[in-house]
Amino acid sequence: MVDQNAHPPSVGTSFQRADLRDKVLGIAKYTADLSLPDMLHARVLRSPHPHANILSIDVQPALNMVGVYDVLTPFNVGGGKVAPDVPILDTKVRFVGDEIAVIAAVNVYEADAAIDLIKVSYEVLPFSTNMDTSMKKGNPKIHSQGNVVNGGPIVEARGNVEEGFDQADYIVEDSFTTPDHHPASLEPRAALASWDGTRLTMWKPSRGIHADKAILASALDVDPNNITVIGPVMGGGYGSKDETRTSVLAALLSMRTGRPVKLELSREEEFLAGRRRHSTFTKIKMGVKKDGTVTAVHVKTIMDTGAYLSSGPGVVRRAGQGALYLYRCPNVKYEGQIVYTNTPTAGSYRALGAPQGHFALESLSDQVADKLNIDPLKFRLMNHVGPEGQPGERTTPKNQIIDTQPVEGGIPFSSNELRQCLILGADAIGWERRDQIQTPTGSIRRGIGMSMFIYRGGPGGQSNAKMSLDEDGFFTLNVGFMDVGEGSSTVVLQMAADTLGVLPQMVRLNSGNTDNTPQSPMTAGSTLTFSAGQAAVRAANQLAQIVIESASEVIGLTDTEGLYITPEGVCSTSGDEVNFTDLVKKSGLLKTTVSVTPGSKDYIVNSFGAHFAEIEVDIETGYVKVIKYVAAHDSGKIINPRMAESQVRGGISQMMGFTFLEDMEIDDLSGVTLNASFLEHKSPTIMEYPEIEVIFADSIDPVGPFGAKSLGETPCIAPAPTIANALYHATGVRLNHLPFTPDNVLTALRKLR
Amino acid sequence: MENHVTQVAFKVNGEEHTLDIDNRFTLLDILRDKLNLTGAKKGCDLGECGACTVILDGKAVNSCQILAVKIASSEIKTIEGLNQGNTLHPLQISFIENDGGQCGYCTPGFIMGAYPLFESRRNVSVEEIRLALAGNLCRCNAYGAIIDSVVGAIGIKADG
Repeated sequence: MVDQNAHPPSVGTSFQRADLRDKVLGIAKYTADLSLPDMLHARVLRSPHPHANILSIDVQPALNMVGVYDVLTPFNVGGGKVAPDVPILDTKVRFVGDEIAVIAAVNVYEADAAIDLIKVSYEVLPFSTNMDTSMKKGNPKIHSQGNVVNGGPIVEARGNVEEGFDQADYIVEDSFTTPDHHPASLEPRAALASWDGTRLTMWKPSRGIHADKAILASALDVDPNNITVIGPVMGGGYGSKDETRTSVLAALLSMRTGRPVKLELSREEEFLAGRRRHSTFTKIKMGVKKDGTVTAVHVKTIMDTGAYLSSGPGVVRRAGQGALYLYRCPNVKYEGQIVYTNTPTAGSYRALGAPQGHFALESLSDQVADKLNIDPLKFRLMNHVGPEGQPGERTTPKNQIIDTQPVEGGIPFSSNELRQCLILGADAIGWERRDQIQTPTGSIRRGIGMSMFIYRGGPGGQSNAKMSLDEDGFFTLNVGFMDVGEGSSTVVLQMAADTLGVLPQMVRLNSGNTDNTPQSPMTAGSTLTFSAGQAAVRAANQLAQIVIESASEVIGLTDTEGLYITPEGVCSTSGDEVNFTDLVKKSGLLKTTVSVTPGSKDYIVNSFGAHFAEIEVDIETGYVKVIKYVAAHDSGKIINPRMAESQVRGGISQMMGFTFLEDMEIDDLSGVTLNASFLEHKSPTIMEYPEIEVIFADSIDPVGPFGAKSLGETPCIAPAPTIANALYHATGVRLNHLPFTPDNVLTALRKLR
Repeated sequence: MENHVTQVAFKVNGEEHTLDIDNRFTLLDILRDKLNLTGAKKGCDLGECGACTVILDGKAVNSCQILAVKIASSEIKTIEGLNQGNTLHPLQISFIENDGGQCGYCTPGFIMGAYPLFESRRNVSVEEIRLALAGNLCRCNAYGAIIDSVVGAIGIKADG
C-alpha cells in the first residue's frame, strides 16, 4: 500500500527539530513573551516564615495605590483546591516562599511596591526543615494527616529477602544521601489569563494542557467547556512545571478585574515555588555468594517532599525500581517513604526517583564487587537482568498489559540490550586499561568508573490522535500532548509521515490548544515517542487506508488493488494517479480518529544503558575533571539520531550539576533557602562541558512504534554513580553524599589520611 | 509619576526610537514590553544567566543590567535584527544545522553572545568560544551542540 521506494524514510534520519528556526530567529513565543491589550501584571507576596498561621491581612494601603487593581488573599479566593493538599491560597503557610497574597497592577514595579504595603499578622509555628525532625513524635503537623505521607512506606517485594540474606556468603550494606536538586529551567513559570465574562483562556508553560484544564475547572468552579488552555513553546520543563497554582491565581485576578492578567515568577521565586528533585536518605543491603551470585537486595528510602505532596508517590515508587529489577535476583524488597518538611516543594524532575535510587544501588554494587575481588564490570556482566527477565511467577493476569515497573518475575522483556551497552561502552572508554591509568601518587589521581540502569520503556496512558488530509493537500496530525523542549513533536511527526509514505514536510502537527486537540496524558515518564508514536502510527495507517479507498473511487476503480501512496498523491500500478489536492476536492476532507492503550500483555517494555567516565581528581583542591564520558543506551530504534544524541549529551551534562554542584541550601534555623539564584546555586556551564560519546545499541523493540523505546529521562540516571565509582577508583575514597563539591571531596579525602 | 519618566532616543536594529521611559525600566524591559522584541529573555533579571544578551554599541551585554535611561544615542542589535528577512545570519543557520538549541529559551542569548566573536574576523579557538559564552546558561545543557554551532558558523564565514 505504501510505496517504500518512493523516497527514503524519515525515521532514522536527523530531520530538523520542530520550531528550531523560530527559536534561532528569536520569534518563538513563550508564555512571558505574550501580552494582551489592557493587561495587568501580577506579583506574589510570599511567606517569610517556614510555618505559620495567617491571622489577618491588611491590604487597604496597597489597594489605595494608583495603578493597583486587585489583591487576592486566603480570605477572598474561595475554597477551591489546585491539588488535594494545596488550596488556591491558604491561611496556613508551610515554607519560606509559600504564597500569601497576589497583587494585580499596571506594571510589575507598581505591583512590587504594593506588595511591600501589605501587612500580615502571623501566628508563627514550630517548624522542621529536615525529615528527622519532621518524623519525631509530637512535632507540629505540617498537614493535618501527619508528616509521614500515608503514615508509612510503600512496600514492594519479590521472594523473601530474609531467606536470600541467609543464603549469602557476604552481605554488604551502606547508606547514601542526595540533595534537594532544582531543575532551574531557564524560563521561570508564567501564566497569562484572559476572562471575557464567560470564557477563560489560559496561556501557560504546560506539559499537559488537558490535565491543566481539568484542574483549572475544578479549582475555579468553571465549566471545563468554558476553558481553553494553550501551551506556548516551553522554556525547559525537565519533568517540572506540572502544577497550576500560578495559573489559578492569574485566572482569578482576571475574572475579578475583567482584564487580562500576566503573572511571571522571578528567578528567586522559580527556585522557591517551582518543584525540586526530592532529597533522599537510602539504606541499602545486598547479599552475594562467593561465586558472585546475588541472593538478596533490600532498600529503604525516605524522601523529603517539602511543603506539599505533588508527584511524590510516583517518585518514591520509581526510586525503587533499580533495586527491584536491575540485578537478576529472586529475593528483593523496597520500602519507600515520603515525609513533609517546611521546605520548598519537591515534585517531578527528569527520571523522578531513579537517579537517587541508582546512586545508592550502583555505588553499592561496586562495593560488593570490591568485597568479592571481582572487576565491577564483570560483576555486572554476571548479574544484570537479561532478556528473559527476573526469576519468579507472573502474577499479572494473561489478558492485562504489563506494568513498566513490575515487581513480579516470570515475564520477559520485549527487548533488552543491556549487555550490548555494557560491552560497547567498556570498549569505548578503554576499560581494559583501567588499572594502568591509575596514578597512585602525586596531586592528580586518575580513575575510571561505570554504572548501569533500567527504566520505564515508554508505554504510558491512553493516547489519542486525529489525522486528516486537508484541502491544501497537506496532512494534519492533531495530538493533545506537549513538546516540553525535548523534541517529541518532531519524532512523532516523522513516524506519521513514514507510515503514510509522504515526506515529513507534508505533515503539520497541531498541538498545544485544548479546543482543537484530543485528550492526552501529560508529557511524563519518557512515554511520548512510544505512546503518542503508537497513536500517530495507527492514525496514519487508518488514514492511508481511507486515502487509498477514496482514490479508488475517484479514479473509478472497483477495488484498491495496485494503488499506493506517493509523496504527491495516489498512483496505481496501471498508471492511474490523483494528487492529494484533487483527491480532497473530489472526495472532501479525509480524516480519522484513533485511541490506543500503549503497552504489551506479553512483555515488559524497558529501556537500559551503561555509563562510563574517566576522571582526574586534584587531591589538593578536591576538584574533579571529567576527561571523557561514554553513554551506551538501549532505547530501541532511534527515530532521530541527532536529537537523540542532543538529549543524551544534555542529560549527562545536566546531571553533572547533580553530581558536582547543585544543592538547595536551606537554613535549619530560619527555613530560608540561602541560594535561590543562579549566582549562588551553581549549574554546569559551557566551560566544564566534557567530551561525551553517545552509543546507541543495535536494538529494535518488537512492541514500540518503528521499534522505538523511551529515551528522554534515561540519560539522567547513571551519571552520579558513574562518577562516584570513578572517584573511588581514582582515590580509594567512597563518597556517599551528593554533590561532590571540591569541599566535600577534600573532606572525604582527609578522613582517609 | 511624571517625574519618573525620561525621554530617550536610541537605535534598535537600525531603527530610530524616541521613548518616554520609566526610570525604573531596564533595557530588557524596553525591548520586551515597549518594542515587542521578545527574543531576549528574562531568565533571572540579575545578569546571571545571559538569556537577555544583546549587542550594545558593539559589545555583548546583559540587557537586564542596563537601565534604559542610560542608552541614549546608543545602537542596539537584538536577535530579531540578525536575519535579513528569509536570509538567515550564518550563526542562525549553523544553530539550526547543528541542533544548537533544545527548548530554545537560551538560544537568542547564546547567538548574540557569540556574535562579537563571529564579527571579530580572526581564527577563533574552541577555548575562546567557551570563554565568550561562559556567562550564558543552557539548562538543557546543549553546550556541545552550541560549540559545534559557533564553530560551524565561523566555518561558514571562512567559506563565504
